[in-house]
Amino acid sequence: MKQFLIYISKIIVVVILIAIALDGLFTASFFRAKNRGKVEAVFNSTAQKYDVVILGSSRANNHFVAQMFEDKGIKAFNYGMSGGHLFEASLMLKLMIERKYEMKNVILEADLNLASEEPSDGIASDFLPFIHNSTIIKEHFKTRKNFDDIYYIPFYRYVKYENVIGFREAFLSAINKRTNALDNLGYYPLQKHKNGNMKNNIVNLNPIPRNKYYEEIKSICKANNINFIAVMTPMCENVVGMNYFEKVKKAYPEIHNYENVVVEDKYFASCGHMTDAGSKLFTAKILNVFFRK
Amino acid sequence: MFFNSLAFAIFLPIVFFLYWFVFNKNKSTQNALLIVASYYFYSCWDWRFLFLLVFSTFLDYYTGIQIEKGKSESSRKFWFWLSIIVNLGFLGVFKYYNFFASSFSELVSSAGFKASPILLNVILPVGISFYTFHGLSYVIDIYFKRIKAEYNFVDYSLFVSYFPLLVAGPIERATHLLPEIKVKREFDFEKAKEGICQIIWGLVKKIVIADTCAVYANAIFDNYNTVNSASLILGAVYFAFQIYGDFSGYSDIALGVSKLFGLDLLRNFNYPYFSRDIAEFWRRWHISLSSWFRDYLYIPLGGSKGGLWMKVRNTFIIFVVSGFWHGANWTYIVWGFINAVYFLPLLLSNSNRNNMDAIILKFNFDSAKVIFSILYTFSLICIAWVFFRAKTITDAVLYLKRIITNGEFSSQYLENERYNHELLLLIALFVLVEWYSRAKIEPLSGRYNILKIALAIVAIIAFGTYSDYKEFIYFQF
Repeated sequence: MKQFLIYISKIIVVVILIAIALDGLFTASFFRAKNRGKVEAVFNSTAQKYDVVILGSSRANNHFVAQMFEDKGIKAFNYGMSGGHLFEASLMLKLMIERKYEMKNVILEADLNLASEEPSDGIASDFLPFIHNSTIIKEHFKTRKNFDDIYYIPFYRYVKYENVIGFREAFLSAINKRTNALDNLGYYPLQKHKNGNMKNNIVNLNPIPRNKYYEEIKSICKANNINFIAVMTPMCENVVGMNYFEKVKKAYPEIHNYENVVVEDKYFASCGHMTDAGSKLFTAKILNVFFRK
Repeated sequence: MFFNSLAFAIFLPIVFFLYWFVFNKNKSTQNALLIVASYYFYSCWDWRFLFLLVFSTFLDYYTGIQIEKGKSESSRKFWFWLSIIVNLGFLGVFKYYNFFASSFSELVSSAGFKASPILLNVILPVGISFYTFHGLSYVIDIYFKRIKAEYNFVDYSLFVSYFPLLVAGPIERATHLLPEIKVKREFDFEKAKEGICQIIWGLVKKIVIADTCAVYANAIFDNYNTVNSASLILGAVYFAFQIYGDFSGYSDIALGVSKLFGLDLLRNFNYPYFSRDIAEFWRRWHISLSSWFRDYLYIPLGGSKGGLWMKVRNTFIIFVVSGFWHGANWTYIVWGFINAVYFLPLLLSNSNRNNMDAIILKFNFDSAKVIFSILYTFSLICIAWVFFRAKTITDAVLYLKRIITNGEFSSQYLENERYNHELLLLIALFVLVEWYSRAKIEPLSGRYNILKIALAIVAIIAFGTYSDYKEFIYFQF
């Protein structure tokens, strides 16, 4: 039995050593990634200057045509992340400030995402490879329930979120294989899709009053003299519970409601996401209202 | 509680410690502990079905004794048939009732009559097919006087409910496991070490191979009408490795865990994808089930006695029943039938026992023939797996039809945002490792043991699929 316990102890030591070694290896791969995702791009970047930075979920990513800003001589980049919540938008902004980005304006898509203060696993995990190398990221995740596991158990974060930052992504990062996430200045255009879901029910959705991460973004902008513009973006006509946007307006009077700027279904790829044509109409409106000068 | 869960990683060391350090006085204390642990293990799924398990155990225990004690043949027959009918009755109600009711209704409707079947809203008790077969083999063996009835209820209960084999086999025989249970187990370092290696290799098969293949196979099977021929072929191959990794991985873990308690279970897999013909495949795949059907169905039906027609008939019966054992769906029945069709030429040419020897390859024409036979057999198996995996027979037929009619063999980006060919290297590596270990139970034991274990752990940690968790496929059977 003694022999067996020594054998098992050896295996446990091997497991720990392997976990530490793999943790180092995977993290090093993500440090090489410059053209895969927006998170890695910002983390591995140096100071940038922007007139406009766009933040939010896919409803920012697919709705703000950054090139239209550039065409007007406004340097802009769309950092909206599909599937992202305000938790990640706030962290992204903090990272930019840490990287000494100079930003004149931040446009935040703030509508459906106001209903959650939870992170989006798929997007939040993009930040986790860097958790030991950034105080900002570490502090941001500190309030999460599984912070200790993620921070202190070697390689745990790569196992837990293996579908996002597992071997496949680490390998592609190591060989620096590019994706289209940074194309079109971060804007991802959608096309009309015959199977696009043109119905949506948000009747049970309620904006959280004083959403922690919305307030955080607002105060970061204020502290850094950045003009903060929060907007609601369009949804298709077939939405049950459209009064959600009125509830948002009531809870957050400073958020501009542009939900109804584009209404026709032909401009939507799915109920919550406009096509490229719809996004251009919407962006033109935003430019006209906020950047006419 | 799954073998690849954190709960099991806590449960196993606790039971191991209690078994060897607290309850190691004699075989009765060892068995009592294993019974408690097994019932706890089973109740983690659904404690209500524990009563069914205990009832089934008691029924076979009691009827076994009554058959042995029976003074007249009619009394022995009574207890024998009581056990068979009740056991199969439970299986029929929980597993097959809804299938028969809806199939009958469809048949009646197709004849122009109106039928609205009464369907039961019951869930399938996990492991019912396995522990029912344990009990059946025990009662049948007593009836035919191959074994003596077991009078110690704890020992008998452990034979039926032993947790490593309770939910997905291997299907044990009283002649094999009961004698092991009847003696006190002494700790054997070499056996325990083998057990650890088998557990780790089982985890590689399940977490690295099966669950990763599942991500791709599901993306292809669920969207088969939009993907090209190359993807469809790869989908069938990925599913072949998914089900092999899943089930043989489970069996490896079960055998390995059991070795930690000093008990050897029946081997269930012997590198089946290196088979040179279908007969050999069935001697290497789910061995405990194949041999069960051979001993308790094929031979009682007359086996190969009684001429060619009887042989063919009996072969078709056991394959179709074996397919049906897997689940109450026509796809499993067709899967069994296809395997019987594959078997037929071997049976007719009397060559079903040709490939009984070990495979040895050299640089000559015979070896090329062997490699071709292996690949050919694997292709046939993959075609049959399409029926096993598809939701309906129509889906399976359309899947296969599209492989032929689509005619595009380019690499394809799947709905799950992955390329169809991404896993090929991993599978090739896995096949190579298994090929070079085919003379052993698993590849990790022997020389450089710790180094090989380290590599397996790297594979489990770095290449495993954890986010898209899948329970073992055979739990549903």
